[in-house]
Amino acid sequence: MRFAVQREVLLKPLSQVVGVVERRQTLPVLANLLVSAGPEGVSFTGTDLEVEMVARMSADGIEAGDITIPARKLFDICRALPDGIKIDFKQAGERVTVSAGRSRFTLSTLPASEFPQIDNIDLVERVTLSESTLKELIDRTAFAMAHQDVRYYLNGTLLDVREGALRCVATDGHRLALCETTVDLDGKARRQVIIPRKGVLELQRLLDAGDGTVEIELGRNHLRVRRSDFTFTTKLIDGRFPDYESVIPIGADKQLTVGRDDLRAALQRAAILSNEKYRGVKLDVSPGRLQIVAHNPEQEEAVEELEVRTVVDNLSVGFNVNYLLDALGALRGSEVMLCLRDGNSSCLVRDADNERSRHVVMPLRL
Amino acid sequence: MERQNAVIHVDMDAFYASVEQMDRPEWRGRPVIVGGAGPRGVVATASYEARRFGVRSAMPGATARRLCPEGIFVAPRMDRYAEVSAAVFEVLHGFTPLVEGLSLDEAFLDVTASLRLLGPLPGIGPRVRAAVRERTGLPCSVGMAHNKLLAKLATELAKPDGTFHLAPEDVHAVLDPLPVGRLWTIGAVAAERLADVGIRTIGALRTADPRLAARALGNHAATAQRLAAGIDDRPVVPDRDGKAIGAEHTFDDDLRTLDAARGWLMRLAERVGERARASGASGRTVTVKLRTPPFETSTRQATLPEATAATADIYGAGERLLSRWWREVPGRRLRLLGISLSGFEQAAGPAQDSLFAPRRRGAGSDPVLDRINERFGRGAIRRARGLPADDDG
Repeated sequence: MRFAVQREVLLKPLSQVVGVVERRQTLPVLANLLVSAGPEGVSFTGTDLEVEMVARMSADGIEAGDITIPARKLFDICRALPDGIKIDFKQAGERVTVSAGRSRFTLSTLPASEFPQIDNIDLVERVTLSESTLKELIDRTAFAMAHQDVRYYLNGTLLDVREGALRCVATDGHRLALCETTVDLDGKARRQVIIPRKGVLELQRLLDAGDGTVEIELGRNHLRVRRSDFTFTTKLIDGRFPDYESVIPIGADKQLTVGRDDLRAALQRAAILSNEKYRGVKLDVSPGRLQIVAHNPEQEEAVEELEVRTVVDNLSVGFNVNYLLDALGALRGSEVMLCLRDGNSSCLVRDADNERSRHVVMPLRL
Repeated sequence: MERQNAVIHVDMDAFYASVEQMDRPEWRGRPVIVGGAGPRGVVATASYEARRFGVRSAMPGATARRLCPEGIFVAPRMDRYAEVSAAVFEVLHGFTPLVEGLSLDEAFLDVTASLRLLGPLPGIGPRVRAAVRERTGLPCSVGMAHNKLLAKLATELAKPDGTFHLAPEDVHAVLDPLPVGRLWTIGAVAAERLADVGIRTIGALRTADPRLAARALGNHAATAQRLAAGIDDRPVVPDRDGKAIGAEHTFDDDLRTLDAARGWLMRLAERVGERARASGASGRTVTVKLRTPPFETSTRQATLPEATAATADIYGAGERLLSRWWREVPGRRLRLLGISLSGFEQAAGPAQDSLFAPRRRGAGSDPVLDRINERFGRGAIRRARGLPADDDG
């Protein structure tokens, strides 16, 4: 195997792939990248057996071959080389030599045959989507995923393929984030899959807000996302996502509308004096007015008053301020709507003029 | 001038040797010497039977063999001692969270705040000793006093396998006649210098002219004279601040099946749950500690939907982590297994409501089991899952 490539051309695929490689592995070969050189160019593959990333690039002077080399070391070397330099890869027996200018690095290898790859994912469905839309769906929901929860099906994001729509839903059991987009699916059956947390975070990192398209392939146990320069595959979480639709309040009668930036700034200020562990703030709603109150164990107090559009009177409810701020950060409109019921019920937060992105926050009993 | 504290010092008697005698009943009553096996080895611990022959800690093995030819010489098994030690400390933590470990077999307890709950100090020591024996089967000596210095001295007076309470009014009567070298901070060199100026007992140091003491001890004289008077303000510094409740076990023979590991996990989870419930703590984080031979340790952690102290919840979360870890690599072996509960929540704090109704399973059989075990001894009743399987350690 042999090829040469300019540093900047190499760094992009390398950085895409290296994120998948875990710092501590169960098998030595998982610390390596699979490098495959062939007539169509060079590809790099990284895997942790759950998530697999293949990134492609073109290169000069290609002599075909497949070998695996230490991922982290290769990335660190290439990153540290000077801008614009040409980097040459050459395999000699069980070693690969990386040379650039007057630098030369000889790396150990493991045979490509030892590298575990996900081949056939048992394709069930294929959806083509604009890349920026997929990125938006993930960006506006991923923050609500659970982390290391024993309800393992919450440690990921639900991809809900419905008639005419594609939804992402994430929840940690205390709050929930949903974002949807319309898609042309020729009347296919509804399908729900759960993408594990790591897969979601990697995808979020990989996707750009450009105007290209990506292909989403749903397999029996895998999800694969293809872009011209990469193929990303993740195992799915084998579990049933909770019935999220039943916890999204419909027709919550007590609504208030307020400028998103104003509410966000007021909550951020009040948060300074909220309890550091529980992050509680109390919302008191009266006609035309929203009062936000926070206390901490030192008996300090923050009171924020906002003019809002509402006819609701005499409603008081507590929330974790971080959950409200996360929700506001995932909305895009200038005006947001809060739909409440009473002091013991959840709050629905959404843009005032559309329901594409919905956020449900359960109360904190202060 | 200072509030009367209540400090307990616990010292296991001939700890390593006692563990060996417990594990090998045929060695009981016989001189057991841990360490000193190799040509240059020194004795780590000698059982009291061996001490009668003059065998002492730190003595060259060759000397020990000459003094006690019929002695049973064994190599130290530090893993096993650490495990027994963990059990001892668990017992100590049952009396107070203020436990300062000095080594595997020695600790200070500050029970000042527990006096109302546990009763007067002289009654607590014997209970500590009985609890350690009940849980581990091992003898220990317990000293009680109003500071660390005196509690440790009291332990020396209690040994072996006894308790001693050094009351404030007896301090001088007890300390004064002792050789000055028995005092903390006075080593062989300092004792010799003191002897040069005619100070041979703790009492003599206490009443000595400060200038005379300073001639022997320099800057340390003032402190030494305070210590000789039984004055010591060092606080008991707890090793942990109640951030986790855990239990672990090292297996003599590595576990080779997931089922055997599950059985042990249940036993450990029962212990953790029991202790959490006894101290009224409930936590949201379960951590499983796994060691494969020879010594590679990893941990796996899970967060529960809400804080719990229920054995079933602790075991359930731990079992999932254990099984996943077990299946990661074929041919797993397990040398050590531990489980702990942390992320404790204050009962009085605000309550975050949940989107999805949690399975309200309540306390289940835990309170009943706890009461039976409290009355009839640990392990009187336990879950079938935790009963010994064939390839246990």
